[in-house]
Amino acid sequence: MFRSAAEQIANSHLSSTLQDALWVVPLSQSMHILALSVLFASVLMISLRLLDVGAMSRSVSQLAGTLLPWIWRALLVSLLTGLLQGLIEPVRQFITPIFWFKMLLVALLALLTLWFSRALSANGPAWDAKATRPAAARLFAVVSIIGWSTVIVFGRFIAYVWADYL
Amino acid sequence: MATPEFIVALQGSELASFIRGETPGGEWAFPILETVHVMALGVVYGSIAMVDLRLLGITSRDVRLSKLANEILPWTWTGFLIAALSGSLMFISMGNTYWNNLEARLKFLCMALAGVNMAIYQFGIHRRVSEWDMHLPPPLAARAAGALSVTLWTGVVLLGRWIGFSI
Repeated sequence: MFRSAAEQIANSHLSSTLQDALWVVPLSQSMHILALSVLFASVLMISLRLLDVGAMSRSVSQLAGTLLPWIWRALLVSLLTGLLQGLIEPVRQFITPIFWFKMLLVALLALLTLWFSRALSANGPAWDAKATRPAAARLFAVVSIIGWSTVIVFGRFIAYVWADYL
Repeated sequence: MATPEFIVALQGSELASFIRGETPGGEWAFPILETVHVMALGVVYGSIAMVDLRLLGITSRDVRLSKLANEILPWTWTGFLIAALSGSLMFISMGNTYWNNLEARLKFLCMALAGVNMAIYQFGIHRRVSEWDMHLPPPLAARAAGALSVTLWTGVVLLGRWIGFSI
């Protein structure tokens, strides 16, 4: 099912026009990496702050207030460039299970981050006042680091696993 | 420019052959190195961009620059060390090819320029950082260093990705 849909996209006019422009894929992939860098570094910093391991010069609400908007911007750029790559190389992207695992993980992590952002707006000052953050927030930090790292691993491995499905 | 002797020698080593996936157990060596490299460069680029944007007076304006830099730069260096190590291992697997690759050369040039830019900043206006580190906008020399740094590192990432398409 995924395969025939992917091949249909690959044969479309838009896709084949973009396939002919040789610089589009490397440029889009580069932007994807730049965006994931911003996202990953921001996630790491907020998480380490929640765990009281790093970034201690700012309170959790101060730090997250600065970095959360960057996480959402970076996620948007990653999705747009990812979508473009999917449009150009649909067979490579859409028929490997690892791609769909990655998407599932991204969706779950985005929802978790949204939950965190809301919880922070409600309880930020209360969290800042305490010596350590609530267990749920610390769990979010650990899950974020492991989860986004896994997303990067899956993303890189799409390039190597897809060939097995041809 | 002829490829230096030691690069050719390294490419002929067992380690290089293992990284190329030619020996049993090494099939995944290169993809794993690439993944480590991407995660490490993510930390480098993301963290240096935070400092650069602060130098430009765009973000983290409520934090003292020296405090922010002291806090973030150890992470940048840790990431850089891991990226350099994984990058070197990938490099030696096909040293001759990378040495003669235009994109790879430009990438190293950008990294060297980023280093020079950092040194000029560090031994220049940063020595009097306590006099200006709450000024907004920061002094011109600081903004110039931030703009150059984020531009050069963006170039490094772009050229790095381009290497994969050019060899």
